[in-house]
Amino acid sequence: MAVSTPRAQALSGAEVVRRSLEGGRTDWRSIGFESLLVGLLVLTLGILAWLLVVVFVNGIPVLAERGTDFLTSPLAARPAEAGVGQAITGSLWLMAFVVVLSFPLGIGAAVYLEEYARDTWFTRLINTVVRNLAGVPSIVYGLLGLAVFVVALGDILGPGSTSGRSLLAGGLTMAILVLPIVIITSGEALRAVPGSIREAAFGVGATRWEVVRSHVLPYAAPGIFTGTILSMARAFGETAPLILVGAVIGGFNVEYDSFIGILQGRYTALPTTVYDWARKPPSFSGNVYAAIVVLIVVLLLVNALAIYLRNRFERRW
Amino acid sequence: MTVNQNWSRSLLGIGVVLTLVLAACQSNPSGSGADPGASGGGDSGGEIFVSGSSTVEPISNAVAEAYAADNPGFQYVVEGPGTGDGFALFCNGETDIADASRAIGDEEVATCGDNGVEYVELLVAYDGLSVITSEENELSCLSFLDLYALLGPESEGFTNWTDANDLAAELEAEFGDEFGAMNAPYPDASLDVTAPGEESGTYDSFVEIVFGDISEARAESGAITEDQVETSRIDYQASPNDNVIVENIAGSPGSLGWVGLAFASEAEGVKSLDVDGGGGCVAASDETVADESYPISRPLFIYPSLAAVDEDLELAPFVDFYVSAEGLALAGEVGYVVLTEEQGGATRAAWEGR
Amino acid sequence: MTAVPAQPPPRLSVADLRGSAGRRRRELAVRSFFLAAASISILISFLIIASLAGEAFNFITQVDLALLFERGWFPRRDLYSIQTIVGGTLVVAGIGMLVATPLGLGAAIYLSEYASPRVRRTVKPILEILAGIPSVVLGYFALQVLSPTLVDAACPGATNPSNIAAAGIGVGILITPLVASVAEDAMYAVPRSLREAAYGLGARKRTTSLRIVLPAAISGIVAALILGLSRGIGETMVVSIAAGATGGSLFTLNPCEPGQTMTAAMTALATGSDQVRGASLAFPSLFFVGLLLFVFTLTLNLFADRFVRRVRISY
Repeated sequence: MAVSTPRAQALSGAEVVRRSLEGGRTDWRSIGFESLLVGLLVLTLGILAWLLVVVFVNGIPVLAERGTDFLTSPLAARPAEAGVGQAITGSLWLMAFVVVLSFPLGIGAAVYLEEYARDTWFTRLINTVVRNLAGVPSIVYGLLGLAVFVVALGDILGPGSTSGRSLLAGGLTMAILVLPIVIITSGEALRAVPGSIREAAFGVGATRWEVVRSHVLPYAAPGIFTGTILSMARAFGETAPLILVGAVIGGFNVEYDSFIGILQGRYTALPTTVYDWARKPPSFSGNVYAAIVVLIVVLLLVNALAIYLRNRFERRW
Repeated sequence: MTVNQNWSRSLLGIGVVLTLVLAACQSNPSGSGADPGASGGGDSGGEIFVSGSSTVEPISNAVAEAYAADNPGFQYVVEGPGTGDGFALFCNGETDIADASRAIGDEEVATCGDNGVEYVELLVAYDGLSVITSEENELSCLSFLDLYALLGPESEGFTNWTDANDLAAELEAEFGDEFGAMNAPYPDASLDVTAPGEESGTYDSFVEIVFGDISEARAESGAITEDQVETSRIDYQASPNDNVIVENIAGSPGSLGWVGLAFASEAEGVKSLDVDGGGGCVAASDETVADESYPISRPLFIYPSLAAVDEDLELAPFVDFYVSAEGLALAGEVGYVVLTEEQGGATRAAWEGR
Repeated sequence: MTAVPAQPPPRLSVADLRGSAGRRRRELAVRSFFLAAASISILISFLIIASLAGEAFNFITQVDLALLFERGWFPRRDLYSIQTIVGGTLVVAGIGMLVATPLGLGAAIYLSEYASPRVRRTVKPILEILAGIPSVVLGYFALQVLSPTLVDAACPGATNPSNIAAAGIGVGILITPLVASVAEDAMYAVPRSLREAAYGLGARKRTTSLRIVLPAAISGIVAALILGLSRGIGETMVVSIAAGATGGSLFTLNPCEPGQTMTAAMTALATGSDQVRGASLAFPSLFFVGLLLFVFTLTLNLFADRFVRRVRISY
């Protein structure tokens, strides 16, 4: 036994056990396995890091050269004049639609499913439907928007020269796209609140709504927050549905004479602008990278916000 | 309770920030410094909608920008979904001007007629179509016959340049020098074709100019069917994205395809072949396209709707500017070939005589 | 002194507990709003099916059924070979999973079993952020950078850098962070007690990870893979930009040749069809393909649900 030798006394008990279990040979397969795993992780991060490096190396010079001019200029025929000003505005408007429509409806639906619903066929149907909707490709939502909001309701939502391709159509489409995700993430956050919290509230005579409002929602808020903010980030990056529903791919200069005018008018968005410029001659390639940098930076900020909020308000049970 | 206050406060904060940002942007949605609500005199309340060819889109965009710079309050939307799509919208009465990289087709004339849409055809610029191949390809010139043998409807299944040798010999026997001198036998290399797809006007122009007469003659002699006249082979890599076409062409030594001259001159890794349309090999350049010595040059048109001109008081002055010498020159700034004085004058006459 | 008679405590009735009428009305109103919100999801599903079905029916009744099995998908030449685009979608998604599964699961196992807490704390958020890279960005990257280099390696001798393999690799890279993130969540959630039991019996980390943790988390891992596959099938922008969004292609299952997926076909139809809403069947075919895609992903999700529930191990 090695324990009695002076050299062995330097080994801890764990070491001794491990040595005797492994028989003293080096375990190549385990080392190989771990190296493989590290390699795969590094490869995953590496390819994506490569993407970010390429994007930033090509995009930052354009941004540095043109500064805020790039961020405020409208779409234009010449790359040196074209900017993402209109695109950013359009995307922000679409986010507003998502916040105003999907968040209340989504959180409300989640509250119903988690707090109010009994286990009936109806509830199970809704659950299945929501899960399936979350998996539907975004381009199908684009088709829905095209058929319903542009063609069928076009005269109401986007009359006149807009021909139905209005901001309303785009915003409604994005809101519908994001809704299932909001429902699912909010539901998960609500489910994580322990039953004892609810029971305590019921015990003092609160109605179900009062329980939810005063006890469940505050505690589920961080999780709901993260989910909603991340779904907003997802909507910010969506391209295909907006192409179908009529975001301007080209150039435009429109004045809106009222708030309703804005809603019923044409618009464009940042990801669709990237898509458009990617098809243009190489003289636009600097612009493409710069626009991608803007897109990624916004997404990074939104994600960082979500992570920060989650960490700040997280409570451990 | 702290958690209660904090989360609702944060929510409020985000909402306030979003509203402020939107309010700031709302006061300047067009980004061009114009007042909201101040529109040019007598306008019917909407913007001018120009749609059609993605080739002509940069020109229309540049012209509209220049016009808007001098006429604040001028509202427009310019899009480039494709020549065919543009005509479909135009003949449906949805757009004010149709951009086109080819002349309006018979079916489209009929549809417009049925819907009562009247228009005037205005030539605004020329664009050449470059036949491109990889820089490693040793060939320097191809004739219409060669192009038909390699890319036409009868060349389906040819994966090597040499596959087209027989067809090329047949064509030479039939047509002689009419469509250019034959350059067969071809080198032994893999034939990889990447070119615009059928949705694009670039495709239409190319097959019409290069294959038109040859394929009609072949149909008459029974070598191909009526349906195949003015079509290309099916089995090639089609892409509406010219960048993809250039990438692919640059990537393979035996590649062959075509893109607009404006694109080809900016692209790296590819070379434009000289083309022989019956008058000898001519290189593609702005000059040869302008004097029409380069055989594959296509005219670019706009079609303003006469009804829209009457309804929208903004449209006529805009088109006046478009066809003025200053407006037409903008085509050069976005890479196309500007019309000569004579050609520009003819366009202006057509517009004034509407 | 007058003795107060001992009275029994007042009996409460349910009416007393129920509270004021106003409170009850509010409760009912709130409940109805939430119910309505939840029912909207059904309305949306119905709308999707209805809007797609109309034009899809239009297409299927007008198209010559023989054309459906033609040799290629060329909507403008009236060749609507469904097998071309379905095949293309499956091959692209398949290659995507071939790329994403080892990368994603490898990263997940490492993060959950081997990485120190500090590494996990830094890398996990990075993965989540990377999962949010918009596909249009990856598409452009694949076009400019990936296609030339990687595809040469994957398809030696392939002369066309735009092919199914390029799209597949791009899609794979896109869904890897998603697969990694969700799979890692599943594995991390396996209780320590299971691992400790294994170590207690003398198992190595490698054995524990592969034989204990992986099977315990299998439902979550399968869910992650299905999520990735779903995303891969529905992916549009990477295929549109990098693989050429071809106006059509011949039927092929060879990844080293150019091909067409359902989503790219839809984009091509919508962004430049010859006669949108015209006499040709191109416009209705857009909806037909959309319906096909919807049914596809629906079936996949239903199957996944059932499968995941069956293999789920509760502990």
